[in-house]
Amino acid sequence: MAASGLLLGGFMLVHLAENLLLFKGEAAYNGWVDLLLSNPATPLLEIGLLFVFVAHIITGVWVRVEDFLNAPRGYEARKWQGGRTVGSATMLYTAAAILAYLVYHMLTFRFVDHSMGFYQMVTSAFRSPVFTAIYIAGSAALALHLSHGMQSAFQTLGLNHPKYTPLIKAGGLLVALAMTGFALISLYYLAGLDLKAAEAGAQMVVIN
Amino acid sequence: MTSSKNFSVTVRVWRQAGPQEPGKMVSYRVKDVSPDMSFLEMLDILNDELIRKGGSPIAFESDCREGICGCCGLVVNGDVHGPDEHSTVCQLHMRRFRDGDVITVEPWRVKAFPVLKDLVVDRSPLDRIIAAGGFISVNTGAAPDANAIPVDKARAEEAMDAAACIGCGACVASCPNGAAMLFTGAKISQLALLPQGAPERAERALNMVAAMDKQGFGNCTNEYECEAVCPKEVKVANIARMNREFLLANLFSKK
Repeated sequence: MAASGLLLGGFMLVHLAENLLLFKGEAAYNGWVDLLLSNPATPLLEIGLLFVFVAHIITGVWVRVEDFLNAPRGYEARKWQGGRTVGSATMLYTAAAILAYLVYHMLTFRFVDHSMGFYQMVTSAFRSPVFTAIYIAGSAALALHLSHGMQSAFQTLGLNHPKYTPLIKAGGLLVALAMTGFALISLYYLAGLDLKAAEAGAQMVVIN
Repeated sequence: MTSSKNFSVTVRVWRQAGPQEPGKMVSYRVKDVSPDMSFLEMLDILNDELIRKGGSPIAFESDCREGICGCCGLVVNGDVHGPDEHSTVCQLHMRRFRDGDVITVEPWRVKAFPVLKDLVVDRSPLDRIIAAGGFISVNTGAAPDANAIPVDKARAEEAMDAAACIGCGACVASCPNGAAMLFTGAKISQLALLPQGAPERAERALNMVAAMDKQGFGNCTNEYECEAVCPKEVKVANIARMNREFLLANLFSKK
């Protein structure tokens, strides 16, 4: 669960960077997508990603089923002592939310007609408030999941060190926080800020 | 030392006649409680009264009553080892409570630690983990020179911090998953950190983790509740070290 989780976290960072290309414009974004699609290794990477994802789910379910079966049960009163965080206590729920979101994501972006161009497909989808609301919920779940998951993966892999653990914990939170970037991108297009920016740009050209 | 007035509390205790019997919470009124009493002394007084009235005393474990043996272990008002941070329940005093308080007292509710009677649980699964490798093998004979094997001071301190574990089981009782990894991590670490533990290092990690898995504990999901309650402040870095030892042993040992 830890090794696959780290790989998936790394993928999410790359995926965010790819999506930031939206701001560079249609040509840059579609150019990157074309480069990816024309690379013969891409389908292999996609299968690899699927494999990592399935491995993460299978190991995760296995661990949590064992935990569920062996968890202390029946306390009349129970107080948590501050070890748990919102992120750690909700890992199962955020995991389910991310999986549900991923299915939706595949149905809306992956297994659809791409003839209008990827930039158009993505930005026009973001103009729908419903789509953006679901997209934001997905990235919020992801951020919460990673707020515990990143540092937890390092600990499970045995990397705990007085010098580096504070950095790992802070870095993990930063990666989690970065996931809200997805939400910000979608809000940018929902608010039509790209159109306003283009308009302002056009006016500037006129003035010049 | 004079103390403030004595007071009364209501104790709600888990009563269970035997391992197979059903249990239930029973309330008792305890009068004339001195704030200077320890929590266990308050239970002693209650038991004394119960015996005088011909009832069965509440079974609970204790030995040293100075926080170093690991015998005692109760959940008091939802707090593992009571409300004081990083202390055993025998170090809890009645001055932490007020007149009229209702105090809920329960045993560790861990699947691997079945209740034997009332507040006493069977923690022998922890002993079985130790028996699987929590030792070093040395030749008997004349005592070797104490300084024959140099040990780095900082490393010795780290090993000592891990060895501070008293095996009370609070880490398991507080874990959302019922994992015994802080205990096992500490017991593996205390030897892995020292040269005396080096010859059996890989075998120890493999055997102790296997024994732990066999006892019916949960898995660690790094919630760190154990570290927050541990009376000896054993750190979760010991769990990471155990994971490391286990991973390296799996990769490189011939077993």
